Amino acid sequence: MNRAAIIGTGQTRHARRRDDLSQPELVREACTAALADAGIGQKDIDAVVIANMELFEGRALPELWVGEGAFATGKPCMKIATGGTSGTSGCIAGFHQVASGLFDIVLVVGFEKHSEGHTQTGMALTDPFWDRTVASGALGNFALSISQYMVDRGVTEEQAAKVAVKARRNAARNPYAHLQMPDITEQEVLDSKMLAHPVRMLDMCPQSDGACAIVIAAESKAKKYCDQPAWIRATATRHQQPYIGDIDHRLTSMETLRSAARSVYAAAGIRDPLKELDVAEIYEPVSYAELAWYEALGFCEDGEAGRLIEDGVTEMDGELPVNPSGGVLSTNPVGASGVIRVAEAASQIMGRAGEHQVQGAKTALATGYGVYAWADAMILGTAP
Amino acid sequence: MIREEKIQIPFVYAAGQAGSRFLVALRDDGRIMGSACAACGHVSVPTRSFCPACSESDLSDVELAGEGNLVSWTEIPGRGVFALINLDGADGALLHRLIDSPDKLAVGQRVRAQFAETRKAHISDLAGFVVTGAGP
Repeated sequence: MNRAAIIGTGQTRHARRRDDLSQPELVREACTAALADAGIGQKDIDAVVIANMELFEGRALPELWVGEGAFATGKPCMKIATGGTSGTSGCIAGFHQVASGLFDIVLVVGFEKHSEGHTQTGMALTDPFWDRTVASGALGNFALSISQYMVDRGVTEEQAAKVAVKARRNAARNPYAHLQMPDITEQEVLDSKMLAHPVRMLDMCPQSDGACAIVIAAESKAKKYCDQPAWIRATATRHQQPYIGDIDHRLTSMETLRSAARSVYAAAGIRDPLKELDVAEIYEPVSYAELAWYEALGFCEDGEAGRLIEDGVTEMDGELPVNPSGGVLSTNPVGASGVIRVAEAASQIMGRAGEHQVQGAKTALATGYGVYAWADAMILGTAP
Repeated sequence: MIREEKIQIPFVYAAGQAGSRFLVALRDDGRIMGSACAACGHVSVPTRSFCPACSESDLSDVELAGEGNLVSWTEIPGRGVFALINLDGADGALLHRLIDSPDKLAVGQRVRAQFAETRKAHISDLAGFVVTGAGP
């Protein structure tokens, strides 16, 4: 396997509506920014990967319609659609293309325009026999598993509220973030409208319009174009779509994410992730998810996630800052969200994260999460 | 067991910067706008934010003639004649339909745009094209 690194990232301004732009124009905004950040031109791109959940926009074959926005005309281009993991899976697919030696430079772009469709209906189009009439889209099926997780681990509403506040305060230092709520308090989270027990409005991610792109380059090109590339040290995908009733203690066990994390830690030689990671960008669609992921990702022992957030370990000034960007809780254009995790982790390694930079970040983790149990993980570092 | 369901999902679509300029000019002024690429000179229609020929984004709007040549056509019984039309001044062709088409259609025939009386910023604000003569 050849070495590969991220040498540039680009994001759009994310918002509830970006109806000033068509889908190809939105994609172009992110791709142009990524090429500028990488210091390359469109002629340098060998192949393009597009991540999107097309049902949310109601236009089939997004790779066809937005491809020209992604500089894909006349080039190899394919789409990845794996729910919430679409973006991270797209990045990993792009990595595979470069690491295999097939291409020197691959552009990966994820996008979603939730404002153009009806996301809840799209999410509800799960299995028509056993899911559809008894589950309720992204929120309902996730909320369903939280009550069990809270009992298993003793997690409280107050601890979840701390996660929600941390995300929005971090987002206030990220000019691209959708939700800008710098003064949010835990009490406001606890007082916000109940959406699906125990998830309240401010525990939940927004629906955003936005796009994010990264440029992945082979070693020779990475060194040519970038002083400090974000080397991709390990990747893992764990996709699984079983009958939900068969997943034993879903959020408590989160076997796919645990397995993906074990795999990338082993490949990167990481034994104690809390100490050896400098920053993490994890896909947390709900405040409670972040707590469950702390345990699945080995940031703490099982049952210690509540203590981690209470002790400020994952705050910007803590031992392991988690989601300096504000995370999915602050910005969620689904097809782009996984790419944003990778792009933000890469920006931290490249020292280009601006006001939310974690000083001296050398090793970063990015994760994706989708539907019931899909999971992706990627380790980025200052050295290959 | 077979289960029947019907799924209805509402959508809105943003035409975007370039698409909106085309639709507004068509609705308000009965003009057909295209885009000329500063990088390669290609003139596309409808208006674009990036050139379909070279992908660059340095484009400027140009007004195109309401006349052109029939590039290709097909007639579907009961649905009419669909056509690709190369408007004078454009490199690319516009996808639309012919109205009141003669018995004998031929590639290269001259066609002219007809506009709808009430327009609503939609491609159907162009009612269609009529054949006006043999090709050059």
